[in-house]
Amino acid sequence: MTYLARHRRPGEKRARTIVIACGVVIAVIALLQFLLPHFMPGLWTSFARPFWRAEFSVSSGALQSPEQLMNENEMLERQIADDQVRLQSVNALESQVQEFETLLGRTATSSRVLAAVLKRPPYSPYDELVIDLGHDNGVSSTSLVYAPGNVLIGRITDALSQTSKVMLFSSPGEQYQVLIGNAHTPATAVGRGGGQYQAQVSRDVKVSEGDYIVDPSLNDHVFGIVTSVVSDASDPFATVLFAPPVNIYQLRWVLIQK
Amino acid sequence: MNKGKIIGRIIFDLVIAISVLSGWWFIALPVAICGVWLFSYFAEIVIAGVAYDAFFGMVPEMGWKGYVATIISIIILMITAGLKKVVRK
Repeated sequence: MTYLARHRRPGEKRARTIVIACGVVIAVIALLQFLLPHFMPGLWTSFARPFWRAEFSVSSGALQSPEQLMNENEMLERQIADDQVRLQSVNALESQVQEFETLLGRTATSSRVLAAVLKRPPYSPYDELVIDLGHDNGVSSTSLVYAPGNVLIGRITDALSQTSKVMLFSSPGEQYQVLIGNAHTPATAVGRGGGQYQAQVSRDVKVSEGDYIVDPSLNDHVFGIVTSVVSDASDPFATVLFAPPVNIYQLRWVLIQK
Repeated sequence: MNKGKIIGRIIFDLVIAISVLSGWWFIALPVAICGVWLFSYFAEIVIAGVAYDAFFGMVPEMGWKGYVATIISIIILMITAGLKKVVRK
């Protein structure tokens, strides 16, 4: 009896191998993420951290000539001297506020630590930052993140050993309670991505461009500045569009509240 | 695999690695798609996808969005393998 030899094309075999390999990869990733959720991000980030640090150092001017650095240093020293004068009046006001808080029994105790921003939007997707401090430095996944100038911008979502991921409140769909304008109207800020927020308030509430948005804590940190108010005669609500006073695309340092 | 193809593959891998490290998904993605089409068993696309998610995603509260690069890389690899089978009969 003669049988026809079963013949498979090489392409067919290759496609099947790829499908099986993909299945194995998915299973391994799912298992690892289920058992050790920080293993893969920690492992890959430990490889990438030296490159990101080097990139940060280069962008911070580590390769500039000594003459350029000295000029820059001189300019910065002048700037510091100017700022110190202004800082003294701010310090006086702060100490006054602290005195009032102490009188009212509401002393704010918070320790903040400076972190370098290794990756920021638009290159990092998902509207997030990668910073160079992790749980080895006391950062936890409940820590809040401030931009220079005491501007609340996000929170730590994943603290690895030496790096952490920061989810910006402006990430699409993220929500945060805020107070709008001089009347401190409560509203929910919804992230629109790219450092932009929107919130809905009653059309009767007076909000105009340039009004401050603050977070409803004891310290009233600035959260954003109103850039536009969109209202329609047929809609009982007005949409307030606002952005933080800092450019998230240019952030190099942030403060982490432990 | 001839020498030229090996060098070509190494160059593709380097470009993808640098792009993923820098977060330039818009460069990594087209280069990886070309790599999958040009080279056989281009598993680097899946490695790049996993690495990208490990750097910027894989946060529990992101849900499936934290694995989007891995998912896309696996889909591309499988679709391209199927397409190659049809086109190169």
